[in-house]
Amino acid sequence: MSATIVAQQAINGIVLGSLYVLVALGLTLIYGVLVQINFAHADFVTLGAFAAYFLMHLTGASYLASIGAALGVGALLGWAINLTIFAPLRHKGSELLPLIATIGVSTMMQNAMLAWFGPVPYAFETPYSQQVYRVAGTFFTLQSVIIIAVSGATIAALYAFMKFTFLGKALRAVAQDRETAALMGINPNHLIMLTIVISSALAGMAGAMLAPVLVLTPFAGTSVIVKAFAIVIIGGFGNVEGTILAGLLVGLIESFTTQFLDPGLIDIVVFGLLLAMLAFRPTGLVSERREENV
Amino acid sequence: MRRQVGVWLLIGTMGLMASAAVSDAVAQEKTIKIGALFPLSGPGAYFGAQDKQGIELALEELNKVGVNGYKFTIQYEDSACSPLPASQAAKRLLDQYKPDVIIGEECSDATLAIMPIIAQAKTPMINAGSSSIKITDPGNPYTFRIMPDEVMQGVDIATQAYNKLNARTAVLLYENTNAGIGNAKVFKDTFEKLGGKIVADIGFGRDVNDFTSIATRIAGVGKVDVIPTYTLEGQGLKITQALAQAGVVKGGDGAAIQLGTIWLPFGFEQKAGKAALGYVRIVQFDPTDQRDAVKNFVAGFKAKFNAEPTHINAHAYDQIMLIADVVKRGAKDAQSIRDTLAATKDFKGVTGSVEFDKNNQNIKMDTIHYMETRPDLSWNALKWN
Repeated sequence: MSATIVAQQAINGIVLGSLYVLVALGLTLIYGVLVQINFAHADFVTLGAFAAYFLMHLTGASYLASIGAALGVGALLGWAINLTIFAPLRHKGSELLPLIATIGVSTMMQNAMLAWFGPVPYAFETPYSQQVYRVAGTFFTLQSVIIIAVSGATIAALYAFMKFTFLGKALRAVAQDRETAALMGINPNHLIMLTIVISSALAGMAGAMLAPVLVLTPFAGTSVIVKAFAIVIIGGFGNVEGTILAGLLVGLIESFTTQFLDPGLIDIVVFGLLLAMLAFRPTGLVSERREENV
Repeated sequence: MRRQVGVWLLIGTMGLMASAAVSDAVAQEKTIKIGALFPLSGPGAYFGAQDKQGIELALEELNKVGVNGYKFTIQYEDSACSPLPASQAAKRLLDQYKPDVIIGEECSDATLAIMPIIAQAKTPMINAGSSSIKITDPGNPYTFRIMPDEVMQGVDIATQAYNKLNARTAVLLYENTNAGIGNAKVFKDTFEKLGGKIVADIGFGRDVNDFTSIATRIAGVGKVDVIPTYTLEGQGLKITQALAQAGVVKGGDGAAIQLGTIWLPFGFEQKAGKAALGYVRIVQFDPTDQRDAVKNFVAGFKAKFNAEPTHINAHAYDQIMLIADVVKRGAKDAQSIRDTLAATKDFKGVTGSVEFDKNNQNIKMDTIHYMETRPDLSWNALKWN
């Protein structure tokens, strides 16, 4: 086995892992603050992908502008759904109702997108996915470079927001203890809304980044969401650093399983790791108290 | 006198109403109920959407005058290209709609799952999308397939690759389903028997999105002449583009030729772009066919949907037209439709001819057309059959 092949599969794994991180970050954020799983996250990803596709193809906007638009569509949708569905259910005092509502939102969105966009796969081409660079026997597209750059910038921005801004600190306070944070003058409902908006915006942006890689149909997001859930668990429920590490790890596992074993075994290896983590290190790759994860 | 006239008018009106009711009842009896099991959701939903178009066009044409006094009605159920939802949809259709004949499914796994259910209900089913050999070998008396099975397609394409393309090495790429595994196996057996060598055998799940790693692996196995690929349209697009990016296939300035069968619809090349250059594949509907039936179908389809028909549209159209043909030959209920279907010898559809063997498999090979993608992404008919 040549070093070139190993290097190529490492590049492939990092690009794929970066995409997984983008999808999983939103899930992690919601889990960290609300201790809730958002089953509609995949559909926010899909809608972001379609928003980017139609902006590019109907208005001739650039791909980079379409990423921004997908982020905006995701944020807007998150705000609207929280305002009309999740928040009223949360105010009834049950944690189960919003969870079930995410399943309802997911089914509703999938069928709405099926009705609007049809079932035939869309080919989302960007000018960058055709530009192939060949360096020392390896190859990568400009699209791959953009994926890594945007993922890196997003992770850095999120990290800086959480650690160094007042809102970020307030959000972490709500994650640690919602009632005490409220006594300190922080409105938890505003912070929960902010969490959902950021998470949905990240999902929308992930959709725009994934669209040239994914088979773009109304069910596109569901094909990556199961892996994203696995990444959140492997990383340590709600832990941002753990999610980044786990996302890249899963991307690399996929590449090297394809090369050295068989692509049909990818899920067995990834979910085998997930079970091993649950059995031997249930706190995830990066262990912290959940309250300090976000 | 006026009262008597009123009474007679009332009796007359009632008579007319009764006669209309009887006539309605007769008309209701003279209906052939078609149940349609197609994927309307999930990754195979593009099949269902295109099947519906072909069906609607056929029914519109047939129901203008009817056939032997019969009109045709249809009810769709979403079988989702998957065994469990397909079984549930089949039971729902049989229990509630009680069709005289069923058409569908597209995916082999789903078709295999519903076959025992429709056989138990003694309702015939016409299939035009599933290639697994198990569907008609051994099959059952109620399942008919109008397209070539995986053996007919696989033996032919492997032989053509060896003889016409001088291919001696191949990489198999296929989804891990009955149809994917079966098609790949037939190619492998035939190709190796002829003297060819399989240098990599790669199966993958339907949830794989990024094929760059698979393309990398193929780029590292050495000289590859052909890459037979068995997957649905969405993954097919990504595979072709990844192979081009890795410099493996002609579309990426490599030497290998991708081979495909009927899984990909018309228009695939336009979506895949330059990466599809040199792709050789079997299509089961040739829109340039000069037969009147084909020309009329293409014109009718364009007029109704403002689009070019795909082989999926054409298959669905043929399924309905075959039902009309058996009704024309005297069939009127599930059992007689089954028996008349089995006796079909020379039905001329827009995809080709139909004649069933003892296992209800169409034995005609004129449904196989080889096309190669030109640099302008149009088709070059290879005329190998």
